[in-house]
Amino acid sequence: MGNSNFIQRSIIQALTFLKDSVFSQEYAICPGFLQSLDPRIKVITFLVFVMQVLFTRSIQVLISLYVLCLLLALISKINLRFFLIRTLVFIPLFSLFIAVPAIFSFFSPGEALISWGILGLKFTITRQGLAGALFFVMRVLVSVSLIVLLNITTKHFELLKVLRIFRIPQVFVMTLGMCYRYIYLFVGIIQNTYLAIKSRVGILVHYKSGQNIVAWSIVSLWNRSVLLNEEVYRAMLSRGYQGEALAWDDFKIKTKDWFWLLLVVIFNFGTFLFIAK
Amino acid sequence: MDNIIFELNDVYFSYLGKFLALSGINLKVIQGQKIGIIGANGSGKSSFLQILNGLIFADSGKVNFCGQELNEKIFRENKFSQDFRRRVGFVFQNPDVQLFCPTVKDDIVFGPLQLGFEKSQIEKRLEKIVVTLGIQELLNRCPYQLSIGEKRKVAIASTLIIEPEILILDEPTAGLDPLTTRQIIDLLIKANADGKTIITATHDLHIVEEIADVVYVFNHEKKVAKFGHAEDILNDLELLKANNLVHIHSHKHKAMAHVHPHVHLDHHTEEN
Repeated sequence: MGNSNFIQRSIIQALTFLKDSVFSQEYAICPGFLQSLDPRIKVITFLVFVMQVLFTRSIQVLISLYVLCLLLALISKINLRFFLIRTLVFIPLFSLFIAVPAIFSFFSPGEALISWGILGLKFTITRQGLAGALFFVMRVLVSVSLIVLLNITTKHFELLKVLRIFRIPQVFVMTLGMCYRYIYLFVGIIQNTYLAIKSRVGILVHYKSGQNIVAWSIVSLWNRSVLLNEEVYRAMLSRGYQGEALAWDDFKIKTKDWFWLLLVVIFNFGTFLFIAK
Repeated sequence: MDNIIFELNDVYFSYLGKFLALSGINLKVIQGQKIGIIGANGSGKSSFLQILNGLIFADSGKVNFCGQELNEKIFRENKFSQDFRRRVGFVFQNPDVQLFCPTVKDDIVFGPLQLGFEKSQIEKRLEKIVVTLGIQELLNRCPYQLSIGEKRKVAIASTLIIEPEILILDEPTAGLDPLTTRQIIDLLIKANADGKTIITATHDLHIVEEIADVVYVFNHEKKVAKFGHAEDILNDLELLKANNLVHIHSHKHKAMAHVHPHVHLDHHTEEN
């Protein structure tokens, strides 16, 4: 019984997460500063920031970048609580397992701050270890915040189009776009299949039957995707596709974009001078 | 002399070489005609339309387009393929199949871009087609966010923007509300009045007279059971019954229940 609920919970939560994270464009379509920038300029400048986060050795630079992130979120009309929750969720995921051991003297010898013993083993947190771990967590926090900010303020199809400026072949960009577009269709199919099963067999299913049902659903979904694949290819052929897809490009760089680019250059130059000092 | 667009002689087609989809089809489509294809589910209508669009090819028999035989080899010729795709447009039964791009706008301009239209020309056509179909507000939306009616309109727009001479439509009004159905019928009638050849497969018998001069009835043996003027076909109740296109049931008119074959054609107006 517990297993059956596990299947139910897993399906529902996985679909909810997918819909929320992939298809939520609530902030990307609302009018705000970052939303109004040309996606190409936005992606390039955010990449510059991320590079700066990766290479800087100054905590002040990291803090100033994080403050800038929060300011950008504010002027882009993003709910700060939503933004902080969204970014902080990833921090333990990316940093906890690396940062926690690093605070101890086994990995970071140095000036001891606190010591205690368990089962004859002596644990010591060092100043150098703690500083290193904090610096690492800060680096992860700022990187994740920048990427989340870019992601929620840019329509996903625009992000895909931007890939083309990095000389990624159109066929890859198009395939990614199609994957993204059809995930939603398949999410709908999974949900309906699950409801159809539930309406016939009820909520309580023996875990072995549950496993069989899930396995058959996967097979059925696979078959549908193969059929859809053939039909979509025919639909492309019928509109003149000949193996090399061409795409519409209607990005326009405005004065505001150049101004933003200039600000980013000045900020970078300023932090470079600060570090050099 | 009539200008024959499509001519099919004794065409057979099967899936994987064992599931028969079309059996000995003979048919002619003349320029400017409105052709209706009716038949029960699984009678081969969609396969027939895909053969006309050069998406699948006959196992045996001949399919000619403007006197030229359609086969895989000829579609490998870039010039012929591009010319054919410019002249023959196809609207798929399932709009989700046809809308594969991230946005509605990308989907509509996909065809003209592949066919080498000028950007300025595409922009002009895009502006015109979205106004005609009333889908201006949908341009930056993702196809998965649309209702079935909106998806169908976008799928039609993505074909009409190419401005093909021949328009092939597979169940264009399936699952649509009456108003959207009416808009699509009016669009097809106008396209035909502008000189386009229209070939439509449908289950909706009440739209057949408007969208077809000549109707072909496909049967369960995957053959053409009968063809003729729309009026003659729709009055042949035995033929329609034999091909699962009408059914007998009881229903009410002005508080009076009665039983008759249900085709929703002209009997309601007589009773009124």
